Amino acid sequence: MTQTLTRTLPCLMGSAAILAASFAAPAQAAWTGGDDQPTSPLACDASTVAPDAGSYNGGTVTGAQPSDTLRVVDVPKLVGIGYFNATSAGVAEAAAELDGVEATTDGPAQANIDDQITLIDNYITSGVGGILYAANDPVAIAPVLRKALEAGIHVVGYDSDAEPDARQWFVNPAQFNGVAKTLMDELAQQIGADGSFAIVTSTFTTPNQARWIAEMDAYQAKCYPEMEWLETVEAQEDNILSFNQAMTLINKYGEDMDGLVGMTSVATPAAAEAVTQADLCGEVSVMGLATPNAIRPYIKSGCMEDAVLWNPVDMGYAALHVLKAAVDGTLEPGAAEVEAGRLGTLQIINGSEVLLGAPTVFNAENVDDFDF
Amino acid sequence: MTDLSQDAAAPRTGPIRRILRDYGHELLVVAAIIALLVVVGAINPRFVSARNMTSVFSGNAYIAVAAIGMTMIIVTRNIDLSVGALIGVLATVSGTLAVSGAPIWVAWVAPILCGALINAVTGLLVAYAGIPSIVVTLGMMAILQGGLISVTGGAWISDLPPEFLLAKMKVMGLPMPLVWAVALTVLAAAWMRLTPYGRSLYLIGGNAEAARAVGIPVRRRIVEVFMIHGAFAGLATLLFATQLQVIQSTTPPNLELLIITAAVIGGVSILGGTGTVIGASLAAVLFAAIGSALIFVNVSAYWLRAFIGVLILVTVLFDVMRRRRETRQKGH
Amino acid sequence: MLRRHTHEAVLALVTLLAILVLSLQSDQFLSVANLLNQGRLMTEVALVALVMTFVIASGGIDLSVGSIMGLSAILLGTFWDGFGLPLPLAMLAVLVVGTVCGLFNGIIIVHFGMPPLIATLGTLALYRGLAEGISQARSVRGWPEWFARLGQGDWLGLPVQVWILLAALALAGAILGFTRWGRTVYAIGASETAARFSGLPVDATKLAIYAVSGFASALAALIFVARVSTTRSDMGTGLELDVITAVVLGGTSIFGGRGTILGTALGLILVQVLENGLSLAGVKGDGTIVLIGVVLIATLLVSTLTERRARA
Repeated sequence: MTQTLTRTLPCLMGSAAILAASFAAPAQAAWTGGDDQPTSPLACDASTVAPDAGSYNGGTVTGAQPSDTLRVVDVPKLVGIGYFNATSAGVAEAAAELDGVEATTDGPAQANIDDQITLIDNYITSGVGGILYAANDPVAIAPVLRKALEAGIHVVGYDSDAEPDARQWFVNPAQFNGVAKTLMDELAQQIGADGSFAIVTSTFTTPNQARWIAEMDAYQAKCYPEMEWLETVEAQEDNILSFNQAMTLINKYGEDMDGLVGMTSVATPAAAEAVTQADLCGEVSVMGLATPNAIRPYIKSGCMEDAVLWNPVDMGYAALHVLKAAVDGTLEPGAAEVEAGRLGTLQIINGSEVLLGAPTVFNAENVDDFDF
Repeated sequence: MTDLSQDAAAPRTGPIRRILRDYGHELLVVAAIIALLVVVGAINPRFVSARNMTSVFSGNAYIAVAAIGMTMIIVTRNIDLSVGALIGVLATVSGTLAVSGAPIWVAWVAPILCGALINAVTGLLVAYAGIPSIVVTLGMMAILQGGLISVTGGAWISDLPPEFLLAKMKVMGLPMPLVWAVALTVLAAAWMRLTPYGRSLYLIGGNAEAARAVGIPVRRRIVEVFMIHGAFAGLATLLFATQLQVIQSTTPPNLELLIITAAVIGGVSILGGTGTVIGASLAAVLFAAIGSALIFVNVSAYWLRAFIGVLILVTVLFDVMRRRRETRQKGH
Repeated sequence: MLRRHTHEAVLALVTLLAILVLSLQSDQFLSVANLLNQGRLMTEVALVALVMTFVIASGGIDLSVGSIMGLSAILLGTFWDGFGLPLPLAMLAVLVVGTVCGLFNGIIIVHFGMPPLIATLGTLALYRGLAEGISQARSVRGWPEWFARLGQGDWLGLPVQVWILLAALALAGAILGFTRWGRTVYAIGASETAARFSGLPVDATKLAIYAVSGFASALAALIFVARVSTTRSDMGTGLELDVITAVVLGGTSIFGGRGTILGTALGLILVQVLENGLSLAGVKGDGTIVLIGVVLIATLLVSTLTERRARA
């Protein structure tokens, strides 16, 4: 036994050392976690280019049958997180307002592409009149959505898009490059144009997050070349994991890190909690995408200045209004704008995307005005 | 139980040798932890800073606590796939009570009791109905997971009262989770090794027929072990759910795999009959240290899971080969 | 006959009952289009479950199937798009890699004596990690029409993959039920030592079973990629649990030595019927998960108790 130990111990330590060394080497290239699609960073100043309405590139529904009540199913990426609870509340609000619309929310328990596809497939069979979705994967979900269009079901996406021809309209909460600009500008204001920061995201395969990160990377290279992007870590949509990852980043970089950015509504409050527990409020800035309810305590305690998000309730609300307009024929391909209840008139961009508006910045002044 | 047979095989042993023999596997895990601390600490000294050590040891203490119960389950030749879902449910139970205005101690005790009760059902199905534990717990996992979302509708629990947040408290300057994990590990280890009840678990796992023959009520013991494991899951929940100011109403993904892996890497044989809770707790610490170390030495997060897979295979391989050699030596 | 197949009888009864009840809840449930579509949706899980029946009946388990599926999907993209192999060749290469992954499981289980649960728990992490490392979160899209037909098209009135599934079902049923090799699998599961002493090729059989399990996972990956027309490193996450649920529900003993392809087929059908039928009846996804858990436990409870009474 002693012999075994004396033999295995050096083995184990040696292999640990080798592994550590071999892994340390290729890590020099900072990994941002962005996707490989082309980016289009906005101008560094506040000048805005009016988005182009473009010509309609969405899909068409065939053989839709008019009926007295429109049954709609809302399929988010997953159920059980605050963000999609809020979108679902918005859908319910619009359903109560509109005549002859019944809406239910049903989603997979985990953000799993296969479960989501199966779920939608079953709803197609059951004969709903409309489908709202937030796609876990833009390509994987496309075949089943096309099938829905062919079956005469109206399809409108929100939050996370599918391929344009697989749905009629998409409610875009905010353009990717716009979100990236807002985040980076707010971050630069807090940590300075030469500050360093790290990112906590969901997974590198989540399309929206990967897209925002790629746009942030491009915008930072263009407008804040002195800023240092330390690294990006994954934390699923899990708040304990997000907290642990944020804590490890704080411990790793110490005073060399000026800011932490959360790319999900789960990661941002968890990062704020980590900074609070490490007693570094004021020294490490936290910002990112987050719902106001989750970050209210940290804004109140002064540990966070602000966070960015669109209103997910409004997004769900708009999505059902858009769907209803498409069913009624008040929204037709080529339209430049659409009426969406209490949100007023929404603009149409990129052919078939309904723009919800600019992202909202939540801070000490306005955080109490929201409840989601 | 294993000690007896080994004592007979190797009569001449000094105290150091005996420690090495009895706790060989645990020492191996300790050595791996130390090696990791030394190597990564040399690359980036901040890794061994007090704050990082605190977050490594205390932020993951709940896995160690849950692994204690899992060890007992595996020692009796069972397994529990539902523990991750159970912890998710118990966290919601505890959090709901905490914000409902019930006394804080109720919110603390409830998950422990509920854990024991829910697992009593599992235990009864395993022991008396004779359905294999992997099947019962697979079903329980689905029931708990789906049930949690059905009941909560996915709403999070926020505005937890500060005095509820156990994991943020300190005892004599040490973080509460760390103190709990160490205390529970030592207590459980002593209980399993020194009391006849604890030792009977090894006999049940090693040879249930023999256990029955010497008058151990095997079925009742299995139900009780499942209940104890449920109580440990409740304790783990207290450390898990009180780290932040919100409680998520979904079950933590893959938590059961992490807990089972910790128990197994810690030296609990999946074939039952051997293994200690100390090893399981240490393995949980090793995991936490690796997770943190990978970020410190800039391992691309993409390769993280492959790395953990290799680690599991290498550790178990060492263990399997060690046991083979021991059996061969005993044979001579 | 009935005594030997108590479990299958119980299961068939439960399945029929479920179909009856659910068809009363929704008109679309028993429509031909829906049933064919369910066949399409269940193929990936079913292919892996057929082989898993062999694995579990031989007293083993394979938790790495979902990860092999993910790795295979990623490699299909890498071989075709990255290395520029012709797609048929890339598909072949992926099937080979899947088989090798399975064989690796077999080798560490057979030759290094690792318990299957732990060995495949390790390779579950390893293969998934490789998939993530190789893909670097990139997807490969733009698959040719003929390939997409494998997952989305029809042939002679049935979805293409259902033909593959039916062939696999017949093959697996014949091998496990009627060949010497099938009997060897049961013998190993009942008692490996006894099988060894009777001179049965224990090691070779186990190696072959795990290798085929890897092959089936790779095949499922090809079909899945064709169905959703993209590759992702997280494909097949949690597949192992769905597969094991179906196999165990089908009456295969987790301790080995017992289990039939008929049972597994019934188990698969019951799960699919519940998922589909409940959804059509307006039950939400999380309610369905709960019900499947209840049915799993209840079916095993009933069949265990019936068997015990039959023996007594």
